[in-house]
Amino acid sequence: MNFAVVLLALLGSVWVLAVVEGWTTTGHLRPAAPLLSGLAHLGRESIVPRTPDRVFFEAAPVLLLIVAVLGAAVLPLAPTLVIADLATGALFINAALAYVLVALIMGGWGPNGAYAMIGGWRFLGQLIAYSMLIVMPITAAAMRAESLLNSAIVTSQAGLWNIVYQPLGFVLFFIAATALAFRSPFDLPTAAGELAGGVEAEYTGARLAVLRLARLVLVITLASATTVFYLGGWHGPLLPPWAWSLVKTLTVSSSMLLAGHHLPRIREADLLGWCWKLGIPLALLNIFVVGLLVLVVP
Amino acid sequence: MFAQAFFVAVFGLAAIGFGVAVFSTASMVRSALALLFSQTAVGCMFLALQTEFLGVLQIMMMATEMSIMAIFMVMFMMDPGGLGGMDMTHQKRFSLGAGVLAGGTAVAVALLADWGPVTAQAPDAAMQTRALGMELLGRSMMIFETAGVTILTAMIAATAVAIPVHTLAGNGDKGASE
Repeated sequence: MNFAVVLLALLGSVWVLAVVEGWTTTGHLRPAAPLLSGLAHLGRESIVPRTPDRVFFEAAPVLLLIVAVLGAAVLPLAPTLVIADLATGALFINAALAYVLVALIMGGWGPNGAYAMIGGWRFLGQLIAYSMLIVMPITAAAMRAESLLNSAIVTSQAGLWNIVYQPLGFVLFFIAATALAFRSPFDLPTAAGELAGGVEAEYTGARLAVLRLARLVLVITLASATTVFYLGGWHGPLLPPWAWSLVKTLTVSSSMLLAGHHLPRIREADLLGWCWKLGIPLALLNIFVVGLLVLVVP
Repeated sequence: MFAQAFFVAVFGLAAIGFGVAVFSTASMVRSALALLFSQTAVGCMFLALQTEFLGVLQIMMMATEMSIMAIFMVMFMMDPGGLGGMDMTHQKRFSLGAGVLAGGTAVAVALLADWGPVTAQAPDAAMQTRALGMELLGRSMMIFETAGVTILTAMIAATAVAIPVHTLAGNGDKGASE
């Protein structure tokens, strides 16, 4: 039952996000556009490039979709509304999202095309930049809850959300999550302006539809993770818990989109420099401050 | 119990299958990712054996490590795509002997060693995580901290050695492009 409800919530959120994306890009609010666009993709020819690595080419979009759903599976929408509330949930989401990299490398290598391959390897460079800024803020959130259970992390924020308790961690996690979802300004693996779509360049038809769906699910999963770790999860007045989770998740995912519209794309080397010289010291400082607060404040 | 044994066996066979694929493919990326999925299958074996933390950790660590290994293999091997039909094997007879000997020893140790009393009921995942944390920050702290600092030192030293000397003087990109 929980499985079906969470999947439905995930699909609904993806639809809302796709409508918002279309709205901010074209200026027209068209609720049916994502569905029509998906159907159009399914109706188009799905071309296989010459001498591809067929296993990687076929597996990459599916793997990306699976890992995005697996990540969402451990994030609670309400106290009892979670597919699997693992004792290592906060670690598991890192494990699931690590395979986003594997999917993109496979998708980049598989089609035997230069643009796709550059896009795939670029994401590896991007991972070196953002990965510590995903792990360290989650560590700080788990430290406050003294548990790796995601539901316990939400419960620990009943009095005060982590965005107030550790604002530095929130900012770093939000930036890193945007980079992990390869959304603008960190969309170097698919950079439309210079790589003709990068990893997406050689995908067409149904395969491209799966790839795009997977990417949207990934954004929702990361927005949901931001909600669970930093925005108090299901906590909020008046509305039922699941509604608060959905509202917060959609707000975070939409803000990721909007931020991308107004920021210039950042160069790979600059991203690495900023993340390692500024981001990681700040993340360590956040862990130190949270440690002090946990020990000092009762 | 049966289900547990079944899944351990399935993931074990998957680990061996992917392990064989590492050497039976000529493509460097396929080889690296086959090794990754072999290690992921080992992580799934940990999960089937009710050691959740170790399983999830193994699955997480291998994804990034093997992907980084893949790009190094592509950079340094002469036929990264495997399109030239390069043979990755050498010293076949010696490798075969060494493999059979090592495999036989491992099986013999597994069957003959006295493993002590088997725990009837494994503690739940949360307790295991807690116990592991207590171990890492208690009795075993010196060992792990020493190992961690040693690895970090080696990484910094290797990076420092790899940087051309003149870039240290502040030439930056100009020095690197020369």
